[in-house]
Amino acid sequence: MSNIVEVSNLTVSFIVRGGNLLLFERGGGMTNVVNDVSFNVREGETFGLAGETGSGKSVIAWALVGLMKPRSGSIKVLGKEINFRKKADVTYLRRNIGIVFQDPVGSLNPRLRVKEIIREGLIAAKTFARAEYDKRITEVVDLVGLRKSSLEAYPRELSGGEKQRVSLARAIVVPRKMVVLDEPTSSLDVSVQAQVLNTLKELKSKLNLSYFFITHDINVMKYMSDSLGILYYGKLLEVGRTYDVVTNPKHPFTARLMSNVPGLKRAKIQEQQERLTEQGSSATGCVYSKVCPRVFEKCSNSPPMFNLGSDHHAACFLYDKAG
Amino acid sequence: MADLLSVNGLTLDYATVDGRVRVLNDVSLRINKGEIVGVVGESGSGKTTIGLSIIRLLDSPPADIIGGSVTFEGKDLLKLGPSELSQFRGPGIGMVFQESLAALNPVYRTDTQLKESVEVLQRAQNSKYSDKEEMKMMVEILNDLRLDRPEWVLKKYPHELSGGMRQRVSIAMAIVEKPKLLILDEVTTGLDVYVQNRILSILKELNRRTGTAMMFITHDLLVASQICDRLYVMYAGRVMEEGNTDHILNAPAHPYTQKLFAAIPQGFVDAPPLPAPKGEAPDLRKLPTGCKFHPRCPQVMQKCKDSEPPVFETEQRSKVLCWLLEKQ
Repeated sequence: MSNIVEVSNLTVSFIVRGGNLLLFERGGGMTNVVNDVSFNVREGETFGLAGETGSGKSVIAWALVGLMKPRSGSIKVLGKEINFRKKADVTYLRRNIGIVFQDPVGSLNPRLRVKEIIREGLIAAKTFARAEYDKRITEVVDLVGLRKSSLEAYPRELSGGEKQRVSLARAIVVPRKMVVLDEPTSSLDVSVQAQVLNTLKELKSKLNLSYFFITHDINVMKYMSDSLGILYYGKLLEVGRTYDVVTNPKHPFTARLMSNVPGLKRAKIQEQQERLTEQGSSATGCVYSKVCPRVFEKCSNSPPMFNLGSDHHAACFLYDKAG
Repeated sequence: MADLLSVNGLTLDYATVDGRVRVLNDVSLRINKGEIVGVVGESGSGKTTIGLSIIRLLDSPPADIIGGSVTFEGKDLLKLGPSELSQFRGPGIGMVFQESLAALNPVYRTDTQLKESVEVLQRAQNSKYSDKEEMKMMVEILNDLRLDRPEWVLKKYPHELSGGMRQRVSIAMAIVEKPKLLILDEVTTGLDVYVQNRILSILKELNRRTGTAMMFITHDLLVASQICDRLYVMYAGRVMEEGNTDHILNAPAHPYTQKLFAAIPQGFVDAPPLPAPKGEAPDLRKLPTGCKFHPRCPQVMQKCKDSEPPVFETEQRSKVLCWLLEKQ
């Protein structure tokens, strides 16, 4: 199966001054919020990215649609490497990859009607003739499961689930290869979340879409993604087929993450006497070494990705066969 | 066992520009001493309003209590005046709010804010601590919440702390006053699973050690089922199902509860579509007739459209608001 997107050694930096993250502020150091991250998204599949708050998930999403320029590394879309300095390349990137943001309120212009919001996607892409706009908008509204009557509505008149469907409609109104979904359901109620997830899965097979799916909810991640990457402080710690990573986590961080996922089988909360160390990252060596229960001498170096077979990779020296 | 808190038939309206909206309708719940009780429901079900009406933090207007009573240790809180009420807040009932960043004052350091709570405790106990004792208390409480380097945390402003730390500081502010009942409104929402689990285990430990009763308000059934002894499932301002957590988890009786569980993704990517209830949470201004869940209910009968079901008791002694449980 071919890859829609190939990301290799992606590094994205923010400019820092005085220890605080101040974006666009000159004269400070740089900090890598996404550090040497590589993964592929296959055609018709969902690549899930899980990680804690502040681990850099959204930054990768922004880079994938050209909202953030990589400091180094490359993003290939359908085999073509994107040069972020060339406007034509960024346009090419955006023509193939759409995005749905986390906040359904903030990402829709409150002064436009739903049909105008969706039309903006068409205007920006310039792939449809003006005369076809209305037809295409009706088609796509039908696809995402919105009522026709909501076309004339303003975002504030819609519920949270409907707003996310409008966002999705705007992302796929121009036929795209991949859609970046940045926590698309985290602000929704469970019953509405289930409806939106169903629609997403349906669209994926109907339109042969690929998804880049970000969430911190592991239950949702399991249900949605074919492959899975685990991000921690900007570093990809483990990547593999979802089933393998969830049932047989290799990296100590992934193992901890998976053991904390609440399930329906009632797992009573246990008293844990251990102190909750803040989620620190180490400046040198493995990012997880500061809090890792299985840390040893080697961890003062930065671990490369070790191949564990069947597409499963982990960045941890426990799997270093050489020594 | 004696009830610590009992809410009986609480009915509450919000008076809005568009007219009156019934937010709580005949809600009854009780919390025993030392018990952890969960109030779960989707947005707009009235779960936060219950919490706020118990501690009497609702502005009136718009809130207008139509009927019912809130009895805490034998006293009806709804009949108390402002000065009597303040004796109950803090040492009686404490509350931790959802957004720790909004609940903490951004221009004061942790120690100043925590000290306010310590002073409330002193007033309640009619005692006076020295600065040193106050400091010791604050460090102790943060230690109990398993915060790393309490002295350092005390010198920080809210924005300098992580979400999990902030949430624990707001919990500390509530529990330092040694409340008999702690109302926790979505305290783990927006936190990572690991931090979330730690906070749950800290709360559980606190409950076991000090016997503090807790009312745990959340939209997350999984989280509620991990920590709560009993659950109240809310929908459209009504308690649809009430019962022991294990019973509700193993055999949910109300179709709404069943749908809520079914909507939680469990399988892998090749799993079948989720059996989500159709539609969305109802508009409280335009509630349907009869059972409020009937437009979304897969097992709807004519009766459900005609009249609202009373409370039926199941064999497991769960209380359910559904005609399906009516004995033939």
